[in-house]
Amino acid sequence: MSPSRPLLTAVMLTVVGLLGACGGGGAAETAAGDGNKPVYGGTLTYLEHQPPTCLYLPAAGFYPNGGILNQITDKLTWQDPETLKIEPWIATKWEINEDATEYTFHLRDGVTFSDGSPLDASAVAANFNVYGLGDPELKLPVAEFVNNYERSEVVDAKTVKFHFEKPSPGFLQGTSVIGAGLVSKKTLSLPYEQQCQLKNIIGSGPFTLKNQIVDKEVDLAARKDYNWAPPSSQHQGRAYLDEVKIIVTPEDNVRVGALISGQADMVRYVQAYDEKTVKDAGFQIYAEPTRGVNNGLYLRPANSILKDVDVRRALQAGTNAKEVVDTLFTASYPVATSVLSHLAQGYVDLSKELAYDPDQANALLDKAGWARGADGIRAKDGVRLQLGVFVSGPQPLSKQTLELVAQQWAKLGVKLEIRPADAGTQAVDIKNAEKTAIQHGMVGRADQDVIKSHFHSQNRDVILHEDEKLDRLLEEESAEPAVAARNAKVAEIQRYVIEQGYAIPLFEEPQVYGAAPHVKGVAFEAVARPWFYSVWKSQQ
Amino acid sequence: MTRYLLSRTGQAALVLWAAFTASYVLLQLLPGDSILIKFQNPELGLSPQQIAEIRAYYAGGSPIGDYLRTLFGFVTGGLGYSIDTGTPVIERLAEALPETARLASAAFLLAVLIAVVIAFVASYSRTSWLRGALLSVPSVFISVPAFWLGILLIQVFSFRLKLVPVIGGGELQQLILPVLTLAVPISAPIAQVLARSIDQVYAQPFVPVIEAKGATRWWVLWRHVARNAVLPTLTVAGLTFGELIAGSVVTETVFGRAGIGRLTEQAVNAQDTPVMLAVVVLAAAVFVLVNLVVDVLFPILDPRLKAAA
Repeated sequence: MSPSRPLLTAVMLTVVGLLGACGGGGAAETAAGDGNKPVYGGTLTYLEHQPPTCLYLPAAGFYPNGGILNQITDKLTWQDPETLKIEPWIATKWEINEDATEYTFHLRDGVTFSDGSPLDASAVAANFNVYGLGDPELKLPVAEFVNNYERSEVVDAKTVKFHFEKPSPGFLQGTSVIGAGLVSKKTLSLPYEQQCQLKNIIGSGPFTLKNQIVDKEVDLAARKDYNWAPPSSQHQGRAYLDEVKIIVTPEDNVRVGALISGQADMVRYVQAYDEKTVKDAGFQIYAEPTRGVNNGLYLRPANSILKDVDVRRALQAGTNAKEVVDTLFTASYPVATSVLSHLAQGYVDLSKELAYDPDQANALLDKAGWARGADGIRAKDGVRLQLGVFVSGPQPLSKQTLELVAQQWAKLGVKLEIRPADAGTQAVDIKNAEKTAIQHGMVGRADQDVIKSHFHSQNRDVILHEDEKLDRLLEEESAEPAVAARNAKVAEIQRYVIEQGYAIPLFEEPQVYGAAPHVKGVAFEAVARPWFYSVWKSQQ
Repeated sequence: MTRYLLSRTGQAALVLWAAFTASYVLLQLLPGDSILIKFQNPELGLSPQQIAEIRAYYAGGSPIGDYLRTLFGFVTGGLGYSIDTGTPVIERLAEALPETARLASAAFLLAVLIAVVIAFVASYSRTSWLRGALLSVPSVFISVPAFWLGILLIQVFSFRLKLVPVIGGGELQQLILPVLTLAVPISAPIAQVLARSIDQVYAQPFVPVIEAKGATRWWVLWRHVARNAVLPTLTVAGLTFGELIAGSVVTETVFGRAGIGRLTEQAVNAQDTPVMLAVVVLAAAVFVLVNLVVDVLFPILDPRLKAAA
């Protein structure tokens, strides 16, 4: 039977290939020695959900970007993810003048970037000049975490001073965020496109880039001479791991399956419906809070239907956030009790104001003059009560969430028109309150300024408002040096936003990771990006 | 023959230019643009005024000037920069192309192999139920979604039986499952056409003559029938190339491979116009090239066509 010879050969080749593959996978799961003393060496295989995009540091908010930049750059200060206190790191100490317009940082000695250049005052000054002012020549946009920046001043090689036009109390925390990672002057001298590329990002962090296959894999290697971890870190010196392999694996069940079958050590973005599978296999789930503006629906007063506060408040009262969490999510996603997460600074509990009350919702809509039509949808002056929203790509189960809310609203006689997340249409229509009446989103940052980032008309401006009072409150918050007064202002803003029906908070969005039992020392920064510096594997 | 080649090549160039122009115009007509999509991204938190400044910086001259500049770039090999990642498009293609080429060519070979085995065994077999069963295989294959098949193969062979790793592993190991996933649906049309044209050739009068001369069944099938049945199959095989590219989008996403498929998916997501344009022109070029090769092979395989050429 000569026709089947090629087939036979192929089958044999395949079998040989498969047998060859067997050898690698079977490391026994026995606990050798005690599992509590950190050991050096090994490679952590970490599966990412999406490939990194442009790695220009102020764009580090995108989780895949932050997950890489957090390993290769250090920050001036370290924010304790539990207490949210700002602690020394590259800056050993600092002074802030009374009205928070001048910040002086004293730097640690002997820190170098991986290209050998020193991390000194002039390098720090150059970094913040870019983040604070941008650079039109190099097309570098300014960073969101720096407000009111004026200029830097190199006092001496180890001392740098920043001047602000207006009080900038959020700046200290701003020096601890991933986007404020310090890079060498060589990186800063490059135009935007070049600074987007990982190979050009030269930091002083515990890991350096070893190899990259764009869109597929980033291999980081430990820097052997690293010796400037935050003083409060138990672990000092070089990272425990030799290498971190960050592999892009877009398919949810491939990521989780690879983790459980032992092909990967840790994965990001375990979907709510996969959490049980991971736990049942004896693996660890890390649901890390993002401590900022909650996942929710943001209503735009510029929309001709939503300009009526009664309609906005009706939608607020008629949305059952608990049902959303119970139906689609898990205990890792606490039901929202305010615009801000309960772990955010300045949070106030507004759960009473946010109670689900469909009767009140119906009453408010009746009062606003929206009467039910034959099809059950309310109408007024020939206009149907129909509102558009885009599925939000970065939010977990955004489509399902919106569909559930649409069902809840249908009972009120409101039609929610859910549009797919097509980047082009979205970019145009999202700035149009008439077409996109509602935005689904959230933002994480462990500072009071997060609320300003979300709502101010010159920042993300999710609700596209022209509410001068809101802008004024937000500006007062971001320029208030005294912590207690600042938190009070944040509380006032939360109340105002809820009262005005600008927001329907749904849940506190975590970043959910899964890790094998042998992965120890897992740590995250304040808004849940992983930090691999003190991670080690208990058996090799 | 030279004239035939020249005129076919000229036609190919014309098709490419048309593909370039059409996609250039269509991409301009899309709502939004990549700069807007990128810089309006809330992660950057830019003010509307800053976005306007960046747009002004990036905006080129007149539409015609832009078109000519881009066209000139393509002719000279300069494909511009990806707006999403900042890398030169040519670099992205150079990285993604071999990855997809390996996947697609291996899958194509496997698909042909599967198709030939199905068609030959079905034609050779005298048992009618076996023949019927084999001939219904392609319709099953073509209705298997690549996405589902890929996940199934991973779950069974990688996660349960632990035979092939999906994460890590050598290039060969990483190819096995994606190649299978891609080959199965592609083998279907080839198998169908091959089986059918074998049947048609069998019906021709020269077959009984050869049989009467005492040739074995196998000799008839292999030396005479198959040779004649291969032409229509070749055309179909050429056409499946488009399916290879489309199938690789799904396969590459499921298996996390960084090929043209994934590149395209991401470019579309971010409306990364320079990348999209390059991919469209590349796809057109491959398609034109494959068809050119098929057309050139035809007269060589079938001497009767030489006169016409």
